[in-house]
Parts: sequence; C-alpha cells; structure tokens
Amino acid sequence: MKGSLAVCLRDIQKFLGQPALMLSTTVGPLLTLILLGSAFGGAITHAPIAIVQESYGPYTSSFIGILQNEQSCQLGGINCQNSFQLIEVPDLDTAQQMLHQGLVKAIVLIPLEFDNSLAANSKVTVTVTLDNTDPLSTAAIGPEVAQAGQQLSSLVQTSPAGNSNMTFDLEDAYRNVLYIEFMAPGTFVQSIMFVSIIAGGVQLVVDKERGIIEGYLVTPLKKYEIVIGVLLSGVIKALFAAVALFVLAIVLAGIRPMNLFPSPNLLGIALTMFTLFLTSLGLIAMMTAYAVRSTSADLYRVTCFPINLTLYYTSGAIYPLDGMPTWMKQVSVINPETYAVHALRLLMYKGAGLQAVAGDFAFLAVFTGLMLILAIAAFRRAI
Amino acid sequence: MQTFGITKRFGDFTAVDRLDLRIRHEVFGLLGPNGAGKTTLIRMLVTVLSPTEGTATVAGADIVREADKVRERIGVVTQASTLDVELTALQNMNLYGMYYGIPRKKRQEKIQSLLKVVGLADRAKIPVAGYSGGMKRRLEIVRALVSEPRVLFLDEPTTGLDPQARAAVLEYVKRIHKEQDITLVITTHYLDEAENLCDRLAIVDHGEVVAEGTPTELKRKVSGGDIIEADFALLPQVALDAMKRADFVLGIKKRDGGLTILVKNGAEAVPRLVSLVDSSGGKLRTITLRELTLDDVFLEVTGRSISEDTNVTQNRLARALQRVRR
Repeated sequence: MKGSLAVCLRDIQKFLGQPALMLSTTVGPLLTLILLGSAFGGAITHAPIAIVQESYGPYTSSFIGILQNEQSCQLGGINCQNSFQLIEVPDLDTAQQMLHQGLVKAIVLIPLEFDNSLAANSKVTVTVTLDNTDPLSTAAIGPEVAQAGQQLSSLVQTSPAGNSNMTFDLEDAYRNVLYIEFMAPGTFVQSIMFVSIIAGGVQLVVDKERGIIEGYLVTPLKKYEIVIGVLLSGVIKALFAAVALFVLAIVLAGIRPMNLFPSPNLLGIALTMFTLFLTSLGLIAMMTAYAVRSTSADLYRVTCFPINLTLYYTSGAIYPLDGMPTWMKQVSVINPETYAVHALRLLMYKGAGLQAVAGDFAFLAVFTGLMLILAIAAFRRAI
Repeated sequence: MQTFGITKRFGDFTAVDRLDLRIRHEVFGLLGPNGAGKTTLIRMLVTVLSPTEGTATVAGADIVREADKVRERIGVVTQASTLDVELTALQNMNLYGMYYGIPRKKRQEKIQSLLKVVGLADRAKIPVAGYSGGMKRRLEIVRALVSEPRVLFLDEPTTGLDPQARAAVLEYVKRIHKEQDITLVITTHYLDEAENLCDRLAIVDHGEVVAEGTPTELKRKVSGGDIIEADFALLPQVALDAMKRADFVLGIKKRDGGLTILVKNGAEAVPRLVSLVDSSGGKLRTITLRELTLDDVFLEVTGRSISEDTNVTQNRLARALQRVRR
C-alpha cells in the first residue's frame, strides 16, 4: 500500500511539474464547450437570402417587410436577431447563380400575380429554392419564410374557409445532401491539420532537440533546401491522408460527391485536389513556422491541441456559419479552414467550377504565401 | 588546415581565445577538459558557428568566406547521434550521399564498400534502432565518409561506449585513416585514446592551446623521466623538504593520500627515495613506478588531472539534470 502511495505521489508530482500539460486537460474540453455550444445553441441568423421580385404592390412590400423583421431567438427568447439578410436580385438567373456560388442560402421568388391574386382573394404560390447542401441552415429557413407568409395572411383577407391564400413551394436546389456529407469536407481539412501538427511540426522540434538540424548544417545543404524539403514531405503526407480519407468516406460513410458521382468530372476533381493541396501547403507552413520557433516538443504538442480545435469548430465544418454568434463569425473570417471547407462543399455537392471557388482560392493563396514567408523567416532565425 | 587567431566570445565569456593551430595530413587530437573550448573550436571549423575574430582554412577553403566549399570537403561526426534510427543503415547512408549530391551509382558502390570496412554489411538492411551503441557509432563514422571528405571531424567518438565497443571503434578509425587517405581531427578526453591514435596533439584549456606536439614530444616536455606514485603512512615536513631538495627529483605534486613524484630515472630513484624517507622519519605505505603518460602532461600544463575534471563534469551534468526535472 505504501508503494502505491509512492507511485501515486510520483505521478502527481510530475503532473504538477508540467503546468502546460495540466492546462491542456481543461483547455480542450472548455474550448469544445464554448465553441461547439455557442454554434449549436445559436439560431440561424442573418442568413443571406435572394429576393426575386416580379410583382410590385402593397402586399409584396409588406411581405418583404415582414421577412426583413423576422427574428430568430436563442432558446428562451433572449438575444433575438434578424433571421435573414435580404438581397434583392433582378432576375431568377442571377439569383440561381448566387445560390450556386454559395452567396445566398435560398431564393424567394415573389411571382408576377402576387399582388393581384391576393387583392382578388385568390390563391398564389411563392417558390422558395433552398441550398440544401447546407441541411442545417435550410431546415431553419424554409419554415421561417412560411411563418412570414402566415403573418401576411393574417393581415389580409383570407378565403371563406379561413385558409390562407398563400402557399409555399419549397424546392431543393440540389439532390438531397445528408448531414454526414455536409460534415465530410471539414474532416478532410482536419486530417490535413493533423498531419501538419504531427508530421511537419513535431518531427522538426524533435530533430532540433536531437541535434539533427545541426547535422544538416555541416553538409552542403542550403537552409532553403531544408525548408522546401520539409514542406514538400509534409504536403505529400497531408495529401495522402486527405485523399485516403476521401476514398474511405465514399466507401464506408456513403459520401457521394457530385464531381465523382454519377460520373467523374475531371475539372471538379482537379479543383478538389488543388484545394487540398493549397490547404496542405498553408497549414504545414503555418505549423512549421510555429514548430521551429517552439522551445520544446512537449509545449508544442500541448498548444497544438487547442489551436486545432479552434480552427475546426469555427470553420463551419460541423455547423453553418449563419448559426454562429458574431464573435465566432469574426474568427471564422480569418480562419483558413473556413475557406477550404467552403470550397470543398461547393465542388463536392454543387459541382461548382473555378469561378465559384475563386474567392476561396484567393484567400487560401494569400494565407499560404504569408505562412511560407513566416516559415522561412522562422527557419533562418531559429537555426 | 590552419587557424589564424580564431576567437569566439559569448558575451563576456571567451570560449576560444586567439588560437593558432596548424594541422597537416595526420590524425590530430584536441585534448582538454569539458568547457575548454574544444567543441566551440570544432563548431567554428565545421562552419556551424562563425568566429568573433580571426579565421581558419579547412581543406584549403576559408571557413568564413568559403563556408560552402568547406562543407563540401569535410565530414563531421557530432557528439550526439544524428542517425535516423527508424531507417536502415543503407537508407541513412544513401540520404547522406544525396545531401552531397553524389551520383546514384557512385553512391551505392561507396556505401557498400564503407559498410564492409566497419563490418556492418550484413546488418545494412535492418533499422538502426536495433543496433548496439558501438555499431551506431561505427555507422555514423562511415556515413560521414560517403562524400569522400578530405578532413573528418570526430567529436568524442567513443564517449558513452563500453570498453570493447570503444576498442573496436578506435580500430576502425585507424583503419579508415590508413585506407581512406584522410585527415582526422579528433576531440577526446580519454588520454589513452589520444596517445595511441593521434600523430599529434594539442592540449586546449580556457580556450587556448597550452601544449602541442606528438605524444612523445609532449611527454618529453614534462622534462623527461618517470613517475613514482608514493603513499605514506607517515610523512613529516622534514621528509617532504628532503625530497624536494634531492637531485633526482624533478617535481612533486600532492594528491589525495600521497605524492606524484617526477624523477629522472625510475630504476635508480626508487631505492634512493625509500632510504631518504626512512632516514627522515617518514613511513611509506606503497610505492609504484610507472612511465610518464599524457595524464601527467595534462596535469603539468593545466594544473589539474583530466580525470578529476571528468568528475566535475559529471557533477555538473547531474545538477543540470536535476534542474531539468524540477
């Protein structure tokens, strides 16, 4: 028994001697609580919606007004915010383009006969096209638009039977996308992040501690050759992990990306690979810069955990950005994973082309460039 | 290889102080206690550190202005192992050859012949993690030879090895020097190693060369002669004074429990010393006659024994470890 006490004491003393490790046991779960809790608990707000207005008149105006003022609240009715951010679009084609590029989550088409029909107390149908590649957002948007319609109905005359004259036709813009499919792109990005942390970074800190980096420096290898070699091997490993996961997700999880099913689309595949490549290079350069500047492998490992969680949860990988509180949205704007996940979703579930993902590529390219500069500078300074 | 007033300061501390050395095509030993500046000197010579002042030429190239050329012409075996233990000996050596841009075919031939030299050819395809300490060290040494360097630096090549492994490593180092026609620069604090391996030696202390020459020359520097180690049961001051005055005694050093006495001719000196102690009222416990070793040279030029110094180092290490644990 005394022996057990001694062993126990030893473990506790060692644990107390590593405050960083101690912290990491609470920081991770705490981050999960705050980030994931805030995202899932939050109602979808400020969801961008395209309004195509073919009819002009008092009913249309009040309907838009009601949509504009529609509020979504947290559970318990506190902290209410506008549900929608309405964007008036001149015609249906433009609106569909925007939906395809991920700029709006839904299109509300107010038909030509809207005002006349309601004035004449006859039936009218409003078509709502939903971007169902984001199942969580659209599940909230459809019913809320309908609710706005009911409010309008209660203001105007109704049919003798007391039924509303207004009906809503909810249309899915794409084939049914399951939540597991919605979540998949974030998983690919996370596998890249894992490789960046484990392979690119830790390897380097350990090599530095073991003096292998100094061993490199007495050979004719140039510093830039070392950096490029390290980054290249990291990208290869990360791409391997991401592609392996992609294939496994298709085989085991039943993911059906449009650029592969029913028939493969070469451009779509190439753009998907390019997204994964750019993401790998950026994240590996970032973690390499961080690793080279780290003083110990332990500290590096411990701090990587919360960094990874924060990037993953705020990227919209598991919950749409529209449902996040403002401060989380602000983090997501500068989070490279956000753009990677966004681009992958467009490519995988909408069969989008280069034009749709150009913005995401631009952000990722700038981010990657910055991180490369940082990695090279860190390398030069630390070694 | 030659150094020209090479100096390295870290803040106020001068690790290497205006050092001038000339090393020919030979096995050259750098001897000195830990912290004497040996490793700093080597790190400058292999272009990892740049000197604060002065410079050096290594294999015909300047270490400051032509560092790239120096790196192409040297091989380095550092104190801490830099092998990739997950990889096989072949992989380790192959990668090293690639760092130097050696063509594939030549690289493979060279690797095969080198692995044979150190007796690792039949274990070349297993991961290095399964090697013993001695095997690893041998592999590291030949790995540094893949690029056919003109100068090979070995920083304490036998530290941490058991006596057998040490002997084997030294044997291979000698063979390599003969077969590969290469200049070797070795730092060590094993005196026997330096004595039987090196053509010439420099003893470094406090960043300066305090003695330089062949092992024989260095021993002769300590006035030539033999060493008597004497332990006393009783040693009155009169006896000590008498010894100091005796014409056959060249020098006396006190050590724990006895004296180390440098004499002209050991065979004659022993009986004379015994009678001298007797007649002045002292009492001998043991008396040993031995030849002069580098340790005595070291004692003479630095004022302390190298083995004492090793203890100091170990204590320092132990304290450092404690600090880390805390």
